Amino acid sequence: MSLAAQLEKLDDYRWRIPRHSQRGMRTDVVVYATKAIIDKIAQDKSLEQAANVASLPGIVGPSLAMPDIHQGYGFPIGGVCATDYSSGVVSPGGVGFDINCGVRLVRTNLREADVRPRMRELLNQIFRDVPCGTGGSGFVKINFKDLDEILVQGSRWMVNHGYGEPGDAEFAEAEGALPDAEIDKVSDRAKERGRPQIGTLGSGNHFLEVQYVERIHDEAAGRAFGLSENQIVVLIHSGSRGLGHQVCTDYLREMGAGMKKYGIELPDRQLACVPIQSPEGQSYLGAMRAAANYAWANRQGITHFLRGAFKRVFGDATKLDLVYDVCHNIAKKERYFVDGKQRDVLVHRKGATRAFPPQHPEVTAAYRDAGQPVFIPGSMGTASWVLAGQPGSMEETFGTVCHGAGRLLSRTAARKNRDLSRVVKDLEEAGILVRSETKKGILEEVPEAYKDVDEVIEVVHNAGLAKKVARLRPMGVIKG
Amino acid sequence: MSPSFAILEHTADIGFKAWAVTAEQLFENSAEAMMAIAAEECRIETREERSVEISGDDYESLLVNWLSEVLYLFDSEEFAVQQFHVESIEAPQADAAMLDDSMRLRARLVGERRDPQRHPWSLIVKAVTYHEIEVAERGGRWEARVFLDI
Repeated sequence: MSLAAQLEKLDDYRWRIPRHSQRGMRTDVVVYATKAIIDKIAQDKSLEQAANVASLPGIVGPSLAMPDIHQGYGFPIGGVCATDYSSGVVSPGGVGFDINCGVRLVRTNLREADVRPRMRELLNQIFRDVPCGTGGSGFVKINFKDLDEILVQGSRWMVNHGYGEPGDAEFAEAEGALPDAEIDKVSDRAKERGRPQIGTLGSGNHFLEVQYVERIHDEAAGRAFGLSENQIVVLIHSGSRGLGHQVCTDYLREMGAGMKKYGIELPDRQLACVPIQSPEGQSYLGAMRAAANYAWANRQGITHFLRGAFKRVFGDATKLDLVYDVCHNIAKKERYFVDGKQRDVLVHRKGATRAFPPQHPEVTAAYRDAGQPVFIPGSMGTASWVLAGQPGSMEETFGTVCHGAGRLLSRTAARKNRDLSRVVKDLEEAGILVRSETKKGILEEVPEAYKDVDEVIEVVHNAGLAKKVARLRPMGVIKG
Repeated sequence: MSPSFAILEHTADIGFKAWAVTAEQLFENSAEAMMAIAAEECRIETREERSVEISGDDYESLLVNWLSEVLYLFDSEEFAVQQFHVESIEAPQADAAMLDDSMRLRARLVGERRDPQRHPWSLIVKAVTYHEIEVAERGGRWEARVFLDI
């Protein structure tokens, strides 16, 4: 029987695949979705992949799937898996190649009416100032000693070296740097790939989007995040570039030998894992934290160049402040109340975002009453959302929600039968300008390639994992 | 001549299937398939030669390590390859105990130092994955399936 046929409906937003549904499963799979979304999810291999994750040694609680889940490699994208910190495993595939891929939201003191008439000029200026696309290197020139410092200090290094303003580092998950990063665990190759790329957007689904706040859904949280209707904001989506990709490649290689050593067998080799407490596990985590810190520094560099572009167009009085920065590819040690007791777990978030509720000690003091900000980008033609973490996330999903709308179409299917000038014209008619280095960059990311972001948000809002704060509408998009 | 590779669809990423008569050719065709996805069609001069030696536990990991090497050379702007010559793949005897890293691939790469202006990416391939990877010999024909993270 297929896994989709074994889905049990728990309520309007929750579904379960019981642990006996597939050989090797140690726990249930719980999927957050409406009936309409689950029907789409069942069309690719997402459920099978979430069931494979349920077979990881030391998994605590269910293997979780967010409403934006789609087929990945090994782990599904939009998957969450917590493993016991003392007896469980760490899986580099559960973090992904783009370690600390994430999004940050920057707010401005400009209104939609100021920017709309000059949108093309602004977009061209950003396109000139923020390195993006497939070009390898950026404008931040650093040596290997600087890079080692960045791997430890993350965002803060950039701020201290002229690529940021006071407060930039503070308004980020983990304040833009994870402790216990180990630079010696990052290979020379990873450093060679990453050194020229700091402060660059990259390609694929990475983007920079100028948006306006269409509607505030929660006045108090909106005020805390400094957001108001018709305000101009910018959403930046990027990760750890070649450095993170190489760290994951290097450690997947080590995991192969480690699996044999520790006698671990799994249904998909891309799930490769070793005990967290093994030397291999600790080395990976040290390197992963360093790569995560690189990603924060990278997004900080992009923010710096973005500020410059806005000031060149709108003058020096233009203010750009960081609302927050969240990662959606990461493994972190966190503490949860599970089955009546406190347990330390390693939460793997693969295309999933931390969403801590109000009063959580790790939420930046300024947002402690509102809850941690979460940013959910939709497709370039629809909308993006600002959410705030809710107590349900601590009770059910190891403090986690979704990370996007979730892809529906493969990149080739998205390109098929679509004409670039038609797509660009349709977007322009909807008030959205697009720039990309390549034609493919736009066609592969057409709105039709994604699920409806509003439907995805309804699920996490109604399930009590995070609440709606603001809906953002795109005005100008730079595709990497 | 029958095609040596074909592109595979995947919701988020992209893959390829490659075919050949020998394992060595299969590894050459796989590298060509990956670079057909990753790089724009461009002229690469045959100015330099590099020798590489790759190891792996089995054919699958050998293929991932080989393709990761080619990707690294391109991304770090060290080398753009025009010709892949896989000279030998040594597998341990069937009755010998399988040891880690016991397979060896030796190859000669002909090309030039990569110039990002002249040798642009088509789309950045982040990495080579083990997802549903397969290397098999069936009836005298070698076949490989690989997915790439993009």
